[in-house]
Amino acid sequence: MAEVGRVSIRLPSNIKQGEVIRIRSLVIHPMEIVQRDKQGQLIKKNYNFIHTMTVIYDGKEVMRAETTQAVSQNPIFTFPLKVERPGKLTVTFSDTTGKTYEGDAEIKFS
Amino acid sequence: MFIAEFLKTKLAVRRRVFLRAVVGFAGGVVSGSGVVLNTFAWAQGGSSGLPLPDETVDATLKRLFGNRPLNPGEEKLKLELPLIAEDGGNVAVTVESSLPVTGAMRVNHIYIISDKNRRPLLAKFSFTPDSGKALVSTSIRLATTTDVRAVAEMTDGTLYGVSRHVRVTISGCDLPPQS
Repeated sequence: MAEVGRVSIRLPSNIKQGEVIRIRSLVIHPMEIVQRDKQGQLIKKNYNFIHTMTVIYDGKEVMRAETTQAVSQNPIFTFPLKVERPGKLTVTFSDTTGKTYEGDAEIKFS
Repeated sequence: MFIAEFLKTKLAVRRRVFLRAVVGFAGGVVSGSGVVLNTFAWAQGGSSGLPLPDETVDATLKRLFGNRPLNPGEEKLKLELPLIAEDGGNVAVTVESSLPVTGAMRVNHIYIISDKNRRPLLAKFSFTPDSGKALVSTSIRLATTTDVRAVAEMTDGTLYGVSRHVRVTISGCDLPPQS
């Protein structure tokens, strides 16, 4: 997967002030799951998966998700946001290798 | 050990009566361990990438919520899951709540918990008044046919829980053993 870490954000096409909108965000990530050896014993190693998602809107954190390996590969998250003013929306994913993946979108009123 | 015995007997009866079981269970065993409320060991383990120890769902609930009672939340929380999930590796889940996210008494966190996953806590979502609504949707991995719960935690610590049964055809957690 050459494009690991690509974040895409989808906003509704028509946003009105004061509305609660639903935002979808997708990140391309393998979200490695626990592996076991033949005896069924857990293989101890550092697995690469996303542990936190943070949503920042207009410089303020509005939503946070703490995820585990039980979240699917290439996860999609849908979350609500109350839009009172136009601003920049940033969604950041952090994984266990210390990398962060960021995507942003501009919220404008139509 | 006494506590282990107690756990076993409780596990046997917990399937359909989990709400009642949790209340009784929490009152009975809370003195037996040094669980500190609201410490998320899994989050620290998560950031290092080391797998966390397997645990039962009762242990997870106790670790997260201590002995606080889990109120039935059928009217306040809506948990949407397929009845039959053909691929356990990718099960869509939506939690929607009519509980407020503004004011003094608001939804702080929503937890998604699967009873039969080896590590039952799947994800935790935190909301702020800017969220406008307590709603979240994602895709999860389920190990086997199981009950899935959504628990909403209010700022004052009140808990509301709701659960759904999901049949899983192909496990989403087991990889073939490594040679």
